[in-house]
Amino acid sequence: MSGDLSTADQGQETVGSDAPRLTVESISKSFRNVDALSDVSLSIETGEVVGLVGENGAGKSTLLKLLTGIHQPDSGRIVLDGEPIRIDGPRDAAHQGIAIVKQEQDVVPNLTGYENLYLDQIPDFARFGIVDSGRMRSKAEQVTEQLGIELDLSAPVSSYSFTERQMLEVSKAFSESIDTDHPIILLDEPTAGLDEDGRELLFDRINELRDRASFVFVSHELDEVLDVSDRIYVLKDGVLVDEVDASEADEPTLQRAMVGRETADEYYRTGRQRSLSQGSDVALRADGLSVADSLDDISFSVREGEIFGVVGVEGCGKSALGRALCGVDPPDAGVVQVHGEELRPESLSRMVEAGIGYVPKDRKAEGLLLYQPLTMNVTLPSIGTDRTSHSLGGLGSLLTLIDSEKERGMAAESVEQLDIRTPGLDSLVYQLSGGNQQKVVLAKWLQRQSDVLVMDNVTRGIDVAAKEEVYRVCRDLAEDGVSMVFIGDELPEVIGMSNRIGVMKKGHLVDVVDAPAQDKPTEEELIEMMI
Amino acid sequence: MAERTILDRSRKRVAEIRAERTLQDWVIDLGPFVLLFLLVVGFSIASPNFFTVSNLVDNVLRNSTILLLVSLAGTFPILQQSIDLSIESMVGITGVIAAILISDYQLGVLALPVAVLAGTFFGALNGVVFAKLKIPSFLVTLGSLSILSGSALLMTGGTSIPYRDPTVRWVSTGELVFSIPNIVIWGLLFYLLMTFIAFKTPFGRYCYALGENEEVANLSGVQVDRYKIGAFVVSGLLCGVAGALLAARTSSAAPGMGSGLLLQSIAAIVMGGTALTGGVGGPHRTLLGVLVIGVLANGMNLVGIQSFVQEIVLGFVVIIAVAMSMDRRKIDIVK
Repeated sequence: MSGDLSTADQGQETVGSDAPRLTVESISKSFRNVDALSDVSLSIETGEVVGLVGENGAGKSTLLKLLTGIHQPDSGRIVLDGEPIRIDGPRDAAHQGIAIVKQEQDVVPNLTGYENLYLDQIPDFARFGIVDSGRMRSKAEQVTEQLGIELDLSAPVSSYSFTERQMLEVSKAFSESIDTDHPIILLDEPTAGLDEDGRELLFDRINELRDRASFVFVSHELDEVLDVSDRIYVLKDGVLVDEVDASEADEPTLQRAMVGRETADEYYRTGRQRSLSQGSDVALRADGLSVADSLDDISFSVREGEIFGVVGVEGCGKSALGRALCGVDPPDAGVVQVHGEELRPESLSRMVEAGIGYVPKDRKAEGLLLYQPLTMNVTLPSIGTDRTSHSLGGLGSLLTLIDSEKERGMAAESVEQLDIRTPGLDSLVYQLSGGNQQKVVLAKWLQRQSDVLVMDNVTRGIDVAAKEEVYRVCRDLAEDGVSMVFIGDELPEVIGMSNRIGVMKKGHLVDVVDAPAQDKPTEEELIEMMI
Repeated sequence: MAERTILDRSRKRVAEIRAERTLQDWVIDLGPFVLLFLLVVGFSIASPNFFTVSNLVDNVLRNSTILLLVSLAGTFPILQQSIDLSIESMVGITGVIAAILISDYQLGVLALPVAVLAGTFFGALNGVVFAKLKIPSFLVTLGSLSILSGSALLMTGGTSIPYRDPTVRWVSTGELVFSIPNIVIWGLLFYLLMTFIAFKTPFGRYCYALGENEEVANLSGVQVDRYKIGAFVVSGLLCGVAGALLAARTSSAAPGMGSGLLLQSIAAIVMGGTALTGGVGGPHRTLLGVLVIGVLANGMNLVGIQSFVQEIVLGFVVIIAVAMSMDRRKIDIVK
């Protein structure tokens, strides 16, 4: 396969006139006998934006780690401006002109923007041990000004929005490599968690800065990669399987290359969307939910087996709605009806009793006990209920004892039902891939027999194939009569999956749009209502 | 073709996971066994009196029981990634309560359960303040450490309270089963009970969940506060048992009689395999740590190492045990 690529390489000398700015020459890297990258070659021209796509575990992160010197390649070399280089870690990489904007934001919230920008260089701004804040600030302001990024650098970063923090990260990457002539900025999932505006702003900046820098853009969002990049490399299982011109590629081609098989045209399995007659029973009804500063008088209802999408720009209150519905952040006013039972959502445990399950936004920090076995995770919400307890007859009401056989049975059932790929029921969940982890989160609630799931970005941070699996699971569940509140940042996904879509804006539910399988609303229509 | 790659991939994954079992995992799992074995062999060679029934039962086991109870007490908060620093003074005050009730109020054996109740009550107070007022547990219990030891001093005027009551004494020193002191039986009973609680009850399960990630437990519908308080209630109860048995064994009680137990118990808990980072280990493992400390103390006595040096050794043991057992995957920064 690499043979094909080298010919492709030669054909690709359209963008930059000089030799490539950076080339990676048949690089390989393995960890404990597992090949993370094998014989990968690629090049980045001056002023080019190169997309890098692949499923989780395809080797994208490893490649970035090699380029920033966190790991050293086992074989092959990295060549910068025709000279082979050795990279001794992120700082060294930055000095040589390769800086990275990471997926997680590395900011210290209680320090100001400019302090964060120069966090690792603060000693350089000190004279006789006293930091010259003024100089640091003005230098920082120069950087953001040059980049055309508007930030209040004197404010603490805790007051920044998510988007602003991300722009600060971009500025930081530039400031680190500012002494080099033409930096290469590696963007690792830079749009994760950004709303539409933030993305647009970021893409604007990238386009504007093309004459001053090259970019490597890594993302799961193929439409973005296609939008921003000139060329796109596709990695699969550590091997470079394709290189395409962005202008000639489309999402299905990329997906096929990434997954290595034909993905269904109907990514979201819209064909399986249930058509719900008005007569279906209402599973969940929210009535006048209000939370100070985030939600104002929200009312809607979700029928059995319905997927009710919720969209809106960042800060519109869609996550707050999920948390209020489930009693995680109890609302100040309003009631929720679950299967006709009217409740004030004052605690999650109360709502769980009624049949609600909550799939939080951040599965690693909020959804899973990462270092505990799969079984324990699956049964966690059910502990203390009959489903996990020994039947002790009359004693049962006094004493609930955990029946580990039952627990294993539940876990095995979920593994089967959701097709969770795991070496065993006792595997610690941090060892599973992102998609399988998310299935474990779903399994928690299914085993609790929750039939109203409130899901906040259920496919966040998982790869294409895993997303497809989650969509399939959602369709299966809907067929079984499970109702879902499908809160999402990705409009195509929410549009594809939902029966109806609630549009939120500044804490209000401004509209509920029908989204039947044959007549889906467009992104533009929704965006118009969101802003 | 597609199926083969999936199979290959999952095989690869299994291999990776096997390889991910680090040396540290093995050290935590087997370390205490190996250490205990080495200590027993070493001291048996060094002292002819060590490996005898009378030494092992009468000295090692009997002297370790109080430490076992207190260490079991401390295990639950630590399993939840909290800590109970008040156990020393809890033992002191419950022992003093028992002794006063026997000597001044002639309550006899009944004084012992009352002391246990008192410990449970103090533990509940710790727990409520910690969970409801959201004050870090080390601070709450550091405060109650001082409050309780001060109260015990106040109740006794700082002196020891002796009493004469053969029945009470029998509870601890009698030999109901073979020639094993009753106190050892008590220790064993509570050990089994706590192990059972850790594995078979919702409370036990939630201790692991809370220690691993409280927010996840919370977002899974667990009534987190209730179980956080529970850990301190259990801790107080077991300290009450320890205080009562200690008072019964010595036919007296002094406010400071629990001193030294805190550090020893933390050493035992951590060495057993319950990391300060929470979520792993459990009371069943704590026994191992207690035996290591018990054998170490007994052996050093027999070999003639003076007690000041023993204290220095214990300090090193604690730091090394913590260093080896911390799960560094979970923490980046320690303060």
